Amino acid sequence: MYRYDEFDHEFVRARTRQFRGQVERRLKGTLTEDQFKPLRLMNGLYLQLHAYMLRVAIPYGTFNATQMRQLAMIADKYDRGYGHITTRQNIQFNWPELVDVPDILDDLADVEMHAIQTSGNCIRNVTSDPWAGAAADELEDPRATAELLRQWSSLHPEFTYLPRKFKIAVIASQKDRAVLKAHDIGIQIIKNDLDQIGYKIFVGGGLGRTPIIGKELVEFLPRIELLPYLEATMRVYNRYGRRDNKYKARIKILVTEMGIDAFKAEVDDEYSYLSPSDIAVSKDEIARITSYFAPPAFENLASSDADYERARRKNIDFARWAQNNVARHKVDGYAIVNISLKPIDGAPGDITSAQMRVVADLAEKYSFGEIRATHEQNLVLPYVKKSDLFALYMSLQDNALQADNIGLITDIICCPGMDYCALATARSIPVSQAIAERFSDPVRQQTIGEMKIKISGCINACGHHHVGHIGILGLEKAGVESYQIKLGGDGSETAAIGDVTGKGFSQDELIDAIERVVDLYLNNRNDNERFVDTYRRIGMGPFKEVLYDAA
Amino acid sequence: MSTLKHKGKGPQAITANGLRNGPVVYLDPNYQWSTSFDDALISEDPDIIEKMRHAGDAAENANLVVGVYFIDVSAETGLPVRYRERFRTNGPSYDPGTPPHDSFVPTFIGG
Ligand code: SF4
Repeated sequence: MYRYDEFDHEFVRARTRQFRGQVERRLKGTLTEDQFKPLRLMNGLYLQLHAYMLRVAIPYGTFNATQMRQLAMIADKYDRGYGHITTRQNIQFNWPELVDVPDILDDLADVEMHAIQTSGNCIRNVTSDPWAGAAADELEDPRATAELLRQWSSLHPEFTYLPRKFKIAVIASQKDRAVLKAHDIGIQIIKNDLDQIGYKIFVGGGLGRTPIIGKELVEFLPRIELLPYLEATMRVYNRYGRRDNKYKARIKILVTEMGIDAFKAEVDDEYSYLSPSDIAVSKDEIARITSYFAPPAFENLASSDADYERARRKNIDFARWAQNNVARHKVDGYAIVNISLKPIDGAPGDITSAQMRVVADLAEKYSFGEIRATHEQNLVLPYVKKSDLFALYMSLQDNALQADNIGLITDIICCPGMDYCALATARSIPVSQAIAERFSDPVRQQTIGEMKIKISGCINACGHHHVGHIGILGLEKAGVESYQIKLGGDGSETAAIGDVTGKGFSQDELIDAIERVVDLYLNNRNDNERFVDTYRRIGMGPFKEVLYDAA
Repeated sequence: MSTLKHKGKGPQAITANGLRNGPVVYLDPNYQWSTSFDDALISEDPDIIEKMRHAGDAAENANLVVGVYFIDVSAETGLPVRYRERFRTNGPSYDPGTPPHDSFVPTFIGG
């Protein structure tokens, strides 16, 4: 798997030393808050509603058991015993103290972690498919490309002061498990008719107050041209992206205002002036990076395992968990295990330090030490032998990690909302908990089938509500929380922005409203049609009726 | 130069976060900073509000607090007018931390 090279070591240590000095100066008063704020943000440190918050980068969601244990140590020593997995595959600590942050960054650096590129108007931590290296449907491991981009973007002088933050995601399958088209740039690794591997590039996607689905910029970009072409794209953005109004500064606004064709013409023009060979990375370098992601030493196994099948037949809970949380692996005899961080009464994405240590132990014992964080705020053990699944499940059960709801109605994406976030207009965690509670019956969840509920506590849309099958946006109306509902959003390869149903609901009304929507769907669906497909077929009308007329 | 202004109407309180440790704090009648809104100095008197402004600026300049601002307080309820500020006085409504936020005893910083 990915490891730091010497350059990263030096750089991260130097950055931490520098930040220690900056914190000292801030505490002494030789740096004012205005001067200090951009510096702390560059190191992932925010001031939130109740306290500071530190966001730690997990590059493309991949980390290992040692790193997880260190995160647990940090949670216990400097924070309040837990962490929160974000929709950008990072982890946040909600209660660090400014005076401790330099030590935390040192402790992170000890395990090759940091908080760089988790904030500010730079190219942020690159995200990817959490099943990378394991998914049965991938063309290759997308993390090699993600890592190439990380190295290219980390310190690139042209990209340290962009008009606005910039998010890139990379996938290597038809199925999109990384919300590709909601990114400033989305990169899909594909094969052309000549069987060559290259890239399909999407540009100008994003959520926030102006949700836009990314548009295709290039249908097939030869592998070697990736960095030069992206560099040309970034230059066009840097040149024309607005800086006068931060709400209009994302590349999605530029692409929309120019039109994709004119934007592409600008990029192609810029590209024609570049010397790709100066920017493109050599074959050797690509081979070196790719070697970081060499598959682990898989054993030669039969594709099915008799003990596993027997356990499924005998233990109904295990069978349900296996059906929902275990995914097909590209190697025979192995499985991808999704660990749900969505217990009915918890906050989506929260994990205690004790659970972190359990996951670290399980990763070491069963998954070559590897762990992934997903944008849906869950964890993944990517390389588990089918014969180990039952033992693994028992350990999860002992540690309150056995939630068996992946992809179901209680597997909710939910931002921290007003419980933690300074920008929030309403809470989101209690809404998520109330919905989970209402639909907690596993049989009912199974009946409803695939359902993506996504909740944001303000229009910044960190909870991806625009692309939820059911999206919920918390607002403040005359001093009380009010929740707008969107229907028909989709964060997958068939990406779509949901439609607003109409006026908002109070927290009390909301859960009944959601239930009416779900019941209407169940009464109208054809066979095993998913909610989002029923919505597409019958449209908003009937849903509006049950939402507003029945009440 | 002070940038701290009060643009609100009616009774005012002053809030901030502690610089070193981050907690939400309110200026109290002794011009100290308490983590409890119950201790907050609330006043409509322009002279006192002016003193509060000075105290806020001074604490920021003394690197005691960060992000000082005035909040409107309802004369009827004695609670902040804005939902966000009412909410902020209590800490998160869901808190998996140990110890939970609401078990904290009010503390003072600086002074
Ligand atoms: S959506 Fe709003 S409330 Fe939620 S985390 Fe983002 S900024 Fe905060």
